[in-house]
Amino acid sequence: MLLSVRNLHARIGDKEILKGINLELKPGEVHAIMGPNGSGKSTLSQVLAGRETYKVTQGEVLFEGKDLLALTPEQRAVAGVFLAFQYPVEIPGVGNLHFLRTALNAQRRSRGLEELDAMDFLSLAKERMKLVQMDQGFLNRSVNEGFSGGEKKRNEVFQMAVLQPRLAILDETDSGLDIDALRIVAGGVNALRSKERGMLVITHYQRLLDYIVPDKVHVMAGGRIVMSGGKELALELEKKGYAWVEKLGPAAGREART
Amino acid sequence: MSAGLQHYLDVAQRFQAEQAETAPLWLRALREEGLAQLSRQGFPTPRHEDWKYTDVAPIVSRGFAPVGAGRSVDLKARVEQLALPGPRLVFVDGRHSPELSSLEGLYEGVTVKSLRVAVREDAEALEAVLGRRARAEAHPFTALNAALLEEGAFVQVRPGAVAPSPVQLFFLASGAGAAPVLASPRIVVVAGENSEAALVELYAGVEGGASFTNAVTEVVLGDNARLHHYKLQAEPDAAFHLASLHARLSRDSSLTSHAFALGGALARNEVYSVFAGEGGECVLNGLYVGHGTQHLDNRTDLDHAVPRCTSRELYKGVLDDRARGTFHGRVLVRQDAQRTDASQTNRNLLLSEEALVDTRPQLEILADDVKCAHGAAVGRLDEQALFYLRARGIPRAEAERLLTYAFASEVVGAVKLEPLRARVEQLLAGRLPGGARREVGA
Repeated sequence: MLLSVRNLHARIGDKEILKGINLELKPGEVHAIMGPNGSGKSTLSQVLAGRETYKVTQGEVLFEGKDLLALTPEQRAVAGVFLAFQYPVEIPGVGNLHFLRTALNAQRRSRGLEELDAMDFLSLAKERMKLVQMDQGFLNRSVNEGFSGGEKKRNEVFQMAVLQPRLAILDETDSGLDIDALRIVAGGVNALRSKERGMLVITHYQRLLDYIVPDKVHVMAGGRIVMSGGKELALELEKKGYAWVEKLGPAAGREART
Repeated sequence: MSAGLQHYLDVAQRFQAEQAETAPLWLRALREEGLAQLSRQGFPTPRHEDWKYTDVAPIVSRGFAPVGAGRSVDLKARVEQLALPGPRLVFVDGRHSPELSSLEGLYEGVTVKSLRVAVREDAEALEAVLGRRARAEAHPFTALNAALLEEGAFVQVRPGAVAPSPVQLFFLASGAGAAPVLASPRIVVVAGENSEAALVELYAGVEGGASFTNAVTEVVLGDNARLHHYKLQAEPDAAFHLASLHARLSRDSSLTSHAFALGGALARNEVYSVFAGEGGECVLNGLYVGHGTQHLDNRTDLDHAVPRCTSRELYKGVLDDRARGTFHGRVLVRQDAQRTDASQTNRNLLLSEEALVDTRPQLEILADDVKCAHGAAVGRLDEQALFYLRARGIPRAEAERLLTYAFASEVVGAVKLEPLRARVEQLLAGRLPGGARREVGA
């Protein structure tokens, strides 16, 4: 198993947001997590990446059999976890190229691999950029600074292509994209699908799943996964709307408690 | 009178008595006025409004004194290592060292002389400006500098001359000898009409000795003259450093000042700039980076005395450990100074709970048709950005370093002089949290 999430509870301040998440992801699988706003989708992605503002109160997360929650965010990245942010952060003064080389070399160092020099890294970056049709000019700009919504999301997928994670969590990578940008981003993600890599694709809309076809779909409501199924579940959800699952939320919760 | 003040008055009196026979009358008068002013004003205490956050007692209470002439210390290797390429005057413990200086490669139209030589050779030109911008009656440490006036540099740029690469004035505290050393350099720059030149003041030292640098720089810009002034203060952490730059900008002239304060136990850098003709432009950039118990003080004063001038001020501070920073920036727009365009920004990054900064923007706008903006901020590293970097595998300490460097890079990046920028980057890398472990750069 690549990722096992068992009875995961997490809170921010006094507010419990995740109320017992269970999820199993095998290498090579792509799972979609859908759900209405406030259902806890983004919290789940942040908790898996190690955001310290959320406190895990119960449950466990195993990544390749190891306790993921015991690791710092940087250790998780080194272990192979990658989060494509819903809102990529702008960092003025830090060059995109320098940032990504620092990241890759930090990961390589931690894995006992030799660091890439500037030349080797540049050719790697140039090659991987093609995947999301990014212009080389982006390498010399500050990280995400002044990027459009679509450019930011492409930059996330570009980073994923360079870092080659074992588990990619895509947090609403489709939000704010027009159809052309969506196609490019989805194309990049699909090119990165492999037998060894698992993906969690978090989205509010079914639309993305036309392009990134998942093996499984989970539906979240009220901090729980209330329904799981095949890719056809996304279409059913699209037809019936989220009101349908929101009613299921409390019921599923009772079930989970008993 | 305090024992501290008495010590400095005695030192100055002795110095003036020794020099009385050889100095021209006008110079003697200047020194005597300095002494009289120091005696009258005394040293400031935190009760003085201008010195509220900076206590000079550690300087005043120690017996700093100028070193005698003729002392020879072998510093050639050190100077070669620290100096930037290009023509330079080198001063060791405040004394001009002809052996370590070299004016090779100086642009035509630029004259650089040690102050002692200039007093003999260019008395008329020097007398016309010396002490006119930096007035002893306005400032006790300017008075002290005047009372001990002997060493320094006189830089003249001929009208119309264009000298893009800089003249370097390198002040090195040798750290040799047991007695606390006082250096009182006076730098005078006269840039003729339509000229363009660059000047670097570099302050460094060898760890070990106690030093106090009390520097005064006077700049007079002719019509349409441009001067790029760079000051890098990277003295040892135990050093004391007080300095002021006084500039007068004639019509359509431009002054760009970049001030980096990295070293010193207590360092204060002051910039006073007066627009004396319309169409002038003044850019003041500053960066202060303190750790340990350093105290770094920045005082700027921009006087929009005439219409249609532009000023841009950006000062940034990075403070770690128990370091303290202060910024007091005054922008005065006088009643006649219509169509002034002024902006002032001071931003501070605190890296520890104990670090402290006092920021005091002070805008006095008496004209009504003006564009003025100002902002001051004190903050910590952005947690979201930190998480973003860590989520990509960059360890926390390195991520903090990267963000801190990025904060400072706005000021560093404005330095167009490549060798100087590289030096600042290198010094900065060694001073940011985590030490000089890894390369930094954008």
